[in-house]
Amino acid sequence: MCRTWPVINLFDRPGYISIAPPHPGSLPYLPQYAIEWRLTLLAQAVFDIHEKNGRAPRRPDQALSRTRAVYLNKIGITTTIPAEIVFAAGATPVDLNNVFITDMKRSEYVEQAEVEGFPRTICGWIKGMYSACLDHKIPKVIAVTGGDCSNTHVLMEIYRMRGVETIPFNYPYGRGRDSMESELALLRDSLGASEEASERWRIHLNRIRRKLDIVDQMTWQDGRVTGFENHLLLVSSSDFDGNPYSFEAKIDRFLEEVQQRREINAPVRLGMIGIPPIMEGLHQFMEESGAHCVYNEVARQFTMPFGGDTLAEQYLAYTYPYQIGPRIDDISAQIERRNIDGIVHYVQSFCHRQMEDLIFRERMDIPILTIEGDAPRAIDARTKIRLESFIRMIAQRKGAVV
Amino acid sequence: MSGPMTMGVDAGSRQVKIVIGAGRQITFNAMIDTVQFYLTCRDGGGDSRDIVSSRVIDITRLAQLTGAPRWTRVVSTGYGRNNVAVAGGRAIPEIMAHAAGAVSQTGLNEFTLVDLGGQDTKVISVRNGMVDDFVMNDKCAAGSGRYLENIAMALGASLDMLGQCWHDPVKLSNTCAIFGESEVVGLVSDGASVESILAGANSSVVARLTPMIRRYRPKVIVATGGVAKNMAVRKLLEMETGVEVITPAEPQLNGAIGCVMA
Repeated sequence: MCRTWPVINLFDRPGYISIAPPHPGSLPYLPQYAIEWRLTLLAQAVFDIHEKNGRAPRRPDQALSRTRAVYLNKIGITTTIPAEIVFAAGATPVDLNNVFITDMKRSEYVEQAEVEGFPRTICGWIKGMYSACLDHKIPKVIAVTGGDCSNTHVLMEIYRMRGVETIPFNYPYGRGRDSMESELALLRDSLGASEEASERWRIHLNRIRRKLDIVDQMTWQDGRVTGFENHLLLVSSSDFDGNPYSFEAKIDRFLEEVQQRREINAPVRLGMIGIPPIMEGLHQFMEESGAHCVYNEVARQFTMPFGGDTLAEQYLAYTYPYQIGPRIDDISAQIERRNIDGIVHYVQSFCHRQMEDLIFRERMDIPILTIEGDAPRAIDARTKIRLESFIRMIAQRKGAVV
Repeated sequence: MSGPMTMGVDAGSRQVKIVIGAGRQITFNAMIDTVQFYLTCRDGGGDSRDIVSSRVIDITRLAQLTGAPRWTRVVSTGYGRNNVAVAGGRAIPEIMAHAAGAVSQTGLNEFTLVDLGGQDTKVISVRNGMVDDFVMNDKCAAGSGRYLENIAMALGASLDMLGQCWHDPVKLSNTCAIFGESEVVGLVSDGASVESILAGANSSVVARLTPMIRRYRPKVIVATGGVAKNMAVRKLLEMETGVEVITPAEPQLNGAIGCVMA
């Protein structure tokens, strides 16, 4: 019985297709895997032949999804990474944060991690990502080791202990071009993606990213998109919902639908900064209380709003993983541009980024409300009191009624 | 007397405060236990199994219970205001109610308001008689009235005695309202005096408050809430911040008075 999964090299491109089963070496050789696997290879081969002849299908993953190849090719990510390289490797990035927070079992995931021994005093996102990855049988994870959070380092160790393959990706702290180039090369090598294919995916994904700019503009300028819809769509650009084609179609449909809407007319305009909130109903409660959330800082950054002519440039312009200065510049410019009255700073319990609150408060001259979230549950009465008092306070200053 | 008679209801986490008045003139006030309030005043009474109707407060029953005179409108605030609506009333956020109450009671326009409640602490910066900024404590009861009550109870001391103790405080490392009790037991066995432990509890409340207050660089502090009746906390607060601490005539009714003003 074959227990070791071989790496298959197609067209002499080492590692171009290297698909491992959900838990490498831990599962017996099951016939259904073998069937799916061969169909995957077939689909990849068809695409590759087309590509070689310069007639690549416009939607290369169409053939793959038919064979459930996407399932076998899933690569988890712990935060935004160069998704272009993952797609170029013929794999599907899956943002583990999204898998965790959109699953009905999100609360159980956190509890499950605690039962296994994760401390209570560790961020809920880390615990949720851990359980979600195992529950969804995602075999491989790209973990961000620089520019995000040091909890991820140990999460990687635990993943490996549980049989999940891990690939590190590091945003260079110094934001140097050469360091970024070499980080991208390392990622390409570990996934078996070519530079050319990554570049093609950059151009392709960029088209979708720019459609998200329109969604953002429809939020703050036209007032036809709610802050929550803006957050949901923009935050999804970390993994493009695992399927850029259906994601693009979703944006197109959404943009068409919102044309018919009436303009949101709220007396108070708020901006959200900080990591995506773990609690539910934050945006919706703001809207109910008379505020329009016109800016989601980190979700917008996931769309790479500054673009760039190369992948290196694009991921160096991305503000989130580096020092706070450029982030403050970006936020301040958006406050001005979007006519924002107040900022809601979301912080996660036990996250090192809570300390950033001190810097924002000292360096930004705008009312700031800090909201802290711990677990994936509906916002509590205390958070509601804070939010509505903040909105009322701003309205009073503006002489508006909420 | 000006304007309609208004009933102000501040549903706090420990006590529900009720005030009736017009403008600055308060004619009636009462306080009832929060749990008793919800059990007896929910629409349908204590037996109601209908969650929707039980979230509405029957104000007539509340009036009967407290012996309140007639009123024409109701304004409510407090911790429970997002869960429970007062039938026929208007609800306003706590921060707004407390600021309005303090402006009305002190006649001041620029101050930093420190509301020390049963389970939470609010620090509100008031400028030109309006809320300029505010900060609230985190989700635990550390440094709140409940914490002080627990410590006093563990030592068999009255709240009056607690309010007298600010000299020679022992250092309490644990401000958790629950774990604090076991620390107190340890201190007693080590031979610390009751007075110095009580002073330590008062001082730990002030230590948690000070960073929240300092960010507003206050010139005057107005202290409200049940804990503001504690003289030791007021004295320690003055010593720690070097700023005059004013307590209005009715610190505990301040939120309800703010509702009447709104």
